[in-house]
Amino acid sequence: MSLRRATIVEGLQHILGADSVVTDERILKESSIDRFRMFEDIHGVYTQPIPAAVAMARSTEQVAGVLRFANEHGINVVARTGRTATEGGLETAVPDSVVLDGSGMNQILAIDAYNMQATCQCGVPLQVLEDRVREHGLTTGHSPQSKPLAHMGGLTATRSIGQLSTLYGGIEDMIVGLEAVFPDGTVTRIKNVPRRAVGPDIRHVIIGNEGTLCYITEVTVKLFPYLPENNIFLGYTVDTMKTGFEVLREVMVNGYRPSVARLYDPADGAYHFAHFVPEGLSVLIFVAEGPAGIAKATAEGIEAIVAQHPECRQVESRYISTWFADLNWGPDKIAREREDILQTGNINRTTEVSGDWGCINDIYENALRRIIEEIPDITMAGGHSSHSYINGTNMYFNYFYNVVDCGPEEEVTKYHTPINRIICEETLRYGGAIVHHHGLGKARTPWVRDEYGSSYYILEGLKRAFDPKGIMNKGTIIPA
Amino acid sequence: MNAVRILVCFKVTPDYEALREADWVAGEGGGAHGSGAAGGGTGAASRVETRYVPRILDCFDESALEMALRMREAAAGGTVPVELGAISIGGKEVERHLKTLQALGYERVTRVDTDADLDFAPTVTASIIARYVENTNNTDLLMLGWRSGPHDGGTVPFLVAEELGWPCLTQVTEVVVLSSDRVRVAHVVDDGVLRVTVRLPCVLGVGNAVVARLRVPTLTDRLAQRGAPVERVQGGDLGIDVAAELAREASVLADLEVIRRDRPGVIVGGESPREKAQTLFDSCLKSMIEKL
Amino acid sequence: MRSLAVVDGTVGTAARQARALGGFLREGSSGHGAAETLVLYRDECDVGRLVEQAPTRGVRLVKTAGGRPDAIVGILAALARDEGCRLFIFAGGYSGTESATRLAHRTGGAVVTDALSIEVGSDRLLCRRHVYSKHMVGRFELSASPWCVSIDVSWGDAQTAAALEHVVLSATDETGTAAEVDETRFEDLELTQSTPTGDLAQSRFLVVAGAGAGSREGVERVAAAARRMGADFGVSRPVAMSAWAPVDRLVGVSGTRTAPELCVVVGVSGAPALYWGIEKAGFIAAIDLDERAPIAKSADAVILDDGVMVIEELAKIIASSRE
Repeated sequence: MSLRRATIVEGLQHILGADSVVTDERILKESSIDRFRMFEDIHGVYTQPIPAAVAMARSTEQVAGVLRFANEHGINVVARTGRTATEGGLETAVPDSVVLDGSGMNQILAIDAYNMQATCQCGVPLQVLEDRVREHGLTTGHSPQSKPLAHMGGLTATRSIGQLSTLYGGIEDMIVGLEAVFPDGTVTRIKNVPRRAVGPDIRHVIIGNEGTLCYITEVTVKLFPYLPENNIFLGYTVDTMKTGFEVLREVMVNGYRPSVARLYDPADGAYHFAHFVPEGLSVLIFVAEGPAGIAKATAEGIEAIVAQHPECRQVESRYISTWFADLNWGPDKIAREREDILQTGNINRTTEVSGDWGCINDIYENALRRIIEEIPDITMAGGHSSHSYINGTNMYFNYFYNVVDCGPEEEVTKYHTPINRIICEETLRYGGAIVHHHGLGKARTPWVRDEYGSSYYILEGLKRAFDPKGIMNKGTIIPA
Repeated sequence: MNAVRILVCFKVTPDYEALREADWVAGEGGGAHGSGAAGGGTGAASRVETRYVPRILDCFDESALEMALRMREAAAGGTVPVELGAISIGGKEVERHLKTLQALGYERVTRVDTDADLDFAPTVTASIIARYVENTNNTDLLMLGWRSGPHDGGTVPFLVAEELGWPCLTQVTEVVVLSSDRVRVAHVVDDGVLRVTVRLPCVLGVGNAVVARLRVPTLTDRLAQRGAPVERVQGGDLGIDVAAELAREASVLADLEVIRRDRPGVIVGGESPREKAQTLFDSCLKSMIEKL
Repeated sequence: MRSLAVVDGTVGTAARQARALGGFLREGSSGHGAAETLVLYRDECDVGRLVEQAPTRGVRLVKTAGGRPDAIVGILAALARDEGCRLFIFAGGYSGTESATRLAHRTGGAVVTDALSIEVGSDRLLCRRHVYSKHMVGRFELSASPWCVSIDVSWGDAQTAAALEHVVLSATDETGTAAEVDETRFEDLELTQSTPTGDLAQSRFLVVAGAGAGSREGVERVAAAARRMGADFGVSRPVAMSAWAPVDRLVGVSGTRTAPELCVVVGVSGAPALYWGIEKAGFIAAIDLDERAPIAKSADAVILDDGVMVIEELAKIIASSRE
């Protein structure tokens, strides 16, 4: 360990206590990356600079202390909680970074069933919060696949979205107020109110900042009644994606708000639905929920719309409810995935984008065609739409490839980045957004200027204003 | 030189991990092929409802499929050609896997077409496999998982071997093709690992091989095999009345019991790994370890 | 009705077979199991010892040429045919499964493997065994006899019973009976002797690493910690299949079933296939990051934290407590 690293560790120990500064070599290596480099990780190859330490913060004051220390000494800080990031956002791009881990800040501070909001620290796993509020007959309405593992801080920092977003919205629609610490140690609290018009909505400086502006230490989210007994699951096969998008659009523009509205293409659908869907068909899925009357009306409205499209054929709803119950990713699936990758060299990657109704099918078709034509060793390429809005929807590209004739450290450059490039290029060409809900991380920063266009001015201004020394997660969102 | 002709039998089973804890009850009929046990079983009380979860390759069968591919690659370095065939019994859900195997280089792929629920019918399964091998007369080495499916009895490899009059080794972990009529096999027996050279033909039941996952074909591989035929065979083609055989199965699953595995699950608190370890040690482990 | 427990004395596991069969006859067969034991032996076997270990008072000795399990099936088939033997009970494991299956096939009887218990009826045998990857227990009805039963390997946990006064009922020499399968088709046999259910099965203090240990390095560190605390070391199937540890360390279905007094599991989810391998443990402590993993409900004590770090701390504490 160089003197520099030793000094950093010493400084951190002074702030946090010796027990809370992790310098274990294995943990440091694993903390230099996130799931973006899981192929390297599985092969025990670590190409990113190894951080000096993982700092386990237990309080807002400790977070402020660490940030002040880092800011003073120009040390790069990578903020993390549940570690489920997929886009390189948790990579320590700079030698001797400090990984500031808030998973120990795991207290639920208040569940206010009257005002329908809950406050918790950043390290509370979403699943824990959800289980607790369900004891009150309530739900957060937030249900990303990472729910068993992801924590509230990280979910907020990456502008996450859940499987029920079409009804409940993304995290930005759920966050009422929050507490965040800026690099100079300033602790800011945004109070919890239903709405206000007191200038710009500054919550949006914090939500989705991916640790590049501040560290989120506490959030307050809305709560909703939990009424699973009213859920109605609907599933249909459909001949083409174009018709599928059309059905999704009609459901949205006619004013229905199912919690789940999904469209799988044949390739992606085969991974989930081959036991009941004939080869070559796409699959439409809806879940109607809420108060019984609304759920019923929503389901009936959807059925009426689908009935206008004779190529849609209904499937038994228990297939859909069973699939839905096994959708989330816990440690078991992660372990099985590692075993698969290690043995077969076959790896699954995803890239999620969005576009309006007018272009989404073009983005889908062109990107997919190019991936299949231009990228070697593809074993599956497909995708699904899983989050719809009045003016458009997202496209979640899902693809697998065999990593052959290259070392673990070349997997990203040989396969993943070229695929991301195709998807981003096609999305930008049609005026869509290059990231829908995983965050930009470091993986898609090459296209961030094109994404923002003239509004990049605002993004740069935020960075200059709040992180003038550039110590917050270098290389994430804003290219290094 | 004559080729070694390998036939791998595989079963497509429900992915049990996709079932919720509450699903583990004797259900509304089922098995891999939908409602009701078509003969043999005694119906709903003896099946877990698994129709609604995805299908996967049974794990030991998957091992066998990959091992056969690797045996060919290893043998290709020498002088022994290896031909690969794969067979499965079931409905259309099986064809997806057969097409994958074609794309991976399996020359012959066969589906024995039946809707009968053979989940707990090892005797019927074995006689279908044996009749197919006899009728086609082009198999030197039959490989399959040493146990599979919800029954998991480990009897099918031996039953097939009995039907064919072939030797049988199970819990196989490694196979190397030595020549056109000999393979070297490592397999786990009750008192160790036995390596043995076997003169073909023979049946091998694959066990805990380190080779556990089947490789994945590229889209290009699939395209190249798009039109390749999948052989479909009916029980009748093999001289077997599947329903009648099923009714004769001498060992029948009558009903199911749920297993409970609860323990107290007391959470050991503490601020750091060190503190938690110390608490666990002080509160329980210390006295236990002293007694060991 | 005649029924027999069968001990293959020609292999190194005879004592274990006898003990397992003894447990099964006492506790797994409602007292209606075999009244006699058939002991197969070869020239070089210690016959006196084999008789002494037999799980029933009555012992029938059969001298055989030995060899592979199917060699003895012909002898048993003749007993079924000539003496009307209706129930054969074999110890669990590789050769028990093979013998029971082949015998049923050759005699037109019915086979059931991995029996947890049986009930003998006049024209039916009822048998309980695991199904659905150890998620459920199924009750099977066997009609056609002879009923050929191999018992679940968990009967290997059975205690040794009080000594019996054995009576040798008969002794025959079947060395001339040829096996149906041509023995000359097996060449260059090379047995690497180990007790696959060996050191782990006997372990009193066991540490098991699961995929939650995260990496080869993580698994190796758990193994090192186990050594340091004087515990045996096993792994779950995903760990063995990732080649992070040798397959002979595998605990659970198709690996070893253990019965330690103390078992510490690290990063193990608690799926039934693994849990079956540790369910006889006196005390299970689980270290896992995920409080929702099934193991949290089926362990006695749970630590929610990084498994590798906790087990290393625990190793230090235990090692220093011994100094």
